[in-house]
Amino acid sequence: MTPGPVSERRAASPPPPTSKRTRPARDATLAWGFLAPSVLVFALFLIYPLGRTVYLSMHGNDIIGRPNRFVGLSHFAEMVSPEFGRILLTTLVFTLGVVVPGVVGALAVVLLLEGVLRGQRILRGAFALPFAFSVASASVVFAVFYSPGNSVLNGILYRMGLDQVPWLTSQEMALWSVAITTVWMNLGYGVLVLAAGIGAIPKEVNEAARIDGATGPRLAWDVTVPMLGPQLFFLIVISTINALQSFGQIHILTGGGPVGSTTTLVYSIYQDAFAYGTSDFGRASAQALVLLAVVLVCTVIQFGVIERKVHYS
Amino acid sequence: MKRIPRRRGVKAAALLASLGLLLSACSGDGDSGGGSDLTAPGAEVLDGLDEAVQVEFWHSMDATNGQVLDGLIEEFNSQNEGRVEVTGSFQGDYDTALANHRAAIQQGDTAELIMIFDLGTQFMIDSAQTVPAQSFLDEDGYDTSTIEEALLNYFTVEGELRSFPFNNSTPLMYVNRDAFEEAGLDPDSPPADLAEIREAAEQLTVTDDDGTVVQYGFGASVYGWFIEQFMARASTPYCDNSNGRDGRATEVLFDDPKVVELVEWWEQMIEDDLAVQIGRNTDDGQAAFTSGRAAMTLESTGALGGFIDQSDFEVGAGYFPLISADDPGGSIIGGASLWINGEGHTPEEIRGSWEFIQFLLTPESQSVWHAGTGYLAVNTEGYDGPEATERAEEFPQFSVAADQLADSEINENTAGCMMGVMSDARVAAEEGWEAALTSDTSAQDAMSEAASGVSRTIEEYNESVGD
Repeated sequence: MTPGPVSERRAASPPPPTSKRTRPARDATLAWGFLAPSVLVFALFLIYPLGRTVYLSMHGNDIIGRPNRFVGLSHFAEMVSPEFGRILLTTLVFTLGVVVPGVVGALAVVLLLEGVLRGQRILRGAFALPFAFSVASASVVFAVFYSPGNSVLNGILYRMGLDQVPWLTSQEMALWSVAITTVWMNLGYGVLVLAAGIGAIPKEVNEAARIDGATGPRLAWDVTVPMLGPQLFFLIVISTINALQSFGQIHILTGGGPVGSTTTLVYSIYQDAFAYGTSDFGRASAQALVLLAVVLVCTVIQFGVIERKVHYS
Repeated sequence: MKRIPRRRGVKAAALLASLGLLLSACSGDGDSGGGSDLTAPGAEVLDGLDEAVQVEFWHSMDATNGQVLDGLIEEFNSQNEGRVEVTGSFQGDYDTALANHRAAIQQGDTAELIMIFDLGTQFMIDSAQTVPAQSFLDEDGYDTSTIEEALLNYFTVEGELRSFPFNNSTPLMYVNRDAFEEAGLDPDSPPADLAEIREAAEQLTVTDDDGTVVQYGFGASVYGWFIEQFMARASTPYCDNSNGRDGRATEVLFDDPKVVELVEWWEQMIEDDLAVQIGRNTDDGQAAFTSGRAAMTLESTGALGGFIDQSDFEVGAGYFPLISADDPGGSIIGGASLWINGEGHTPEEIRGSWEFIQFLLTPESQSVWHAGTGYLAVNTEGYDGPEATERAEEFPQFSVAADQLADSEINENTAGCMMGVMSDARVAAEEGWEAALTSDTSAQDAMSEAASGVSRTIEEYNESVGD
């Protein structure tokens, strides 16, 4: 709801009988009236917190967590460090490790299910089911799978005569274990979105392709996937943002460990602001602004690069 | 025409926002010291009240422990009808409760009585909201001779008792008695030091035909509290300035050769397949023991009840191990204590909270508390109460913790480190320990690096409290 369309419509209609000056002014008042509730909500829950975060990021705290001294940009300067570089790298690896397998996996499931004629709906429903799990319950289930000493997965590997995997206790493995959990949780949503997309592809397109001799993988790759462009693009953007904001599964599975190997940007914010009885809201706010910038840059790049290749029918 | 009101709106919003910021900045600078004198009022303030004084009690006890506590509150209220009425309010785990309390201080709306875990003690002193416990003892001439000395030792800072110990525990070594007997070991004399644990673990570890371990000798979580305990038993201070009790601590000392020896031993046990690698999650350590994967583990006394319920073998308990046989022994405590808020509260409320604490510290209450929860009896006469006696007859393991504490020498090393950033220190110790276990970094380097990382945090804290 912007003032734009309202005044355009007015302009398109025959010249109003009343004076030209008062009409637009009244329109503007009306528009602002309609806008007021959402502006108020935005101001209260988005703009004020953002302003507050900027304010906090430039202040130090007393032990209660109250800002008590201006420190300028020193919280940002402190971030130029190998430790923070490691956090960013972990965030990047985690995001790629979640988005790529998540989107490819959902696409594979949907394409393979296209070949299944009987029970396709049931199977789709089954694959979409993880979407119904809350982060907390899924993480607790995976915590049992991974539990050091009693891992269900290791039990299965043991029966198969394979080596045990230190799912959560190795610095190299822990991040992937969290990523696997996240991919599983995201899969359901991906399947839902892509299945809806595939259902919306006009039958004529497939028929035309078949008449031209395209079958199986060729049909999927050259016709179905391009037709799914908008859904795939949407999925990539949404799962990137979700991955960057992942918290619950990290908190429950690893607590950011071992030795910070699963501490992503969001988890680091939490640690500085709330964990271990600390209340360094200044440092946490500065990191939160960095997170905002990262999400913004990722999304802008995705819109700039990928969206151009998306075909909207 | 359109733009003018919009800009005005923006200006007004900006003005409002900056005003808001100014206001919050002012409130941030102001009231940190507190003007009122935080001393204990006498019993007379509760005389001739029109209605009962309301005491809100924030705590972190849920499930079984919460029920036992609610029972005690109910009993107190019925004894003090028309005088004091306590309302218990569960605030989540210790960390959350502390965060809630912080927020309450900011809003000037603290509860009358709060339970804060051991690591928050220095913070509670520095935030200057509470009436020191000593003040009540002095006002009433309260006799503390039956209160567990190790507990008074922990919560006494600069010669003054700061808070009232209540739900406290100490870690023990737990053994799978069935596994001990199968391996031909005596479960009644469990290993007492690291070398003995290793020897026993060699007997207890069972491998299948392919060489995969099916039962490990030992397995415990990487829990920073254990390092604090090991150091106390070796009579080594955890932080400088006599464990922060002669003045503010400025550095942690967990890179001591004793701790390095411990971490190296731990690493070797895992490498030799005698111990199972557990992360920092204590639930995983407990599960490894109760499922029979690890035949020996380290855990709090508070875990005993759960161990007995959840395992299908007989559970034995022994003293927490020493690093080497010639260590002097000793034991520090963990858990929480009770603080009476003075800032912003009436003398009646303050006195009412103290009346309730006196009730909790009676031998009768402590017998119920110990038997119901497994926590130590703060008042040692509580062990002779009917509930505690019955429990000790059924599960003799329950008395091990009390014995371990009674055997402990009382000095600054067994008092434990007092420091504002104790939580950060514990996490740093865990990270150093875990770094040694999960990477090529040597135990010495990992612990030294972790310890030096804490120094900066300590410095920042000490600066922000300004002395």
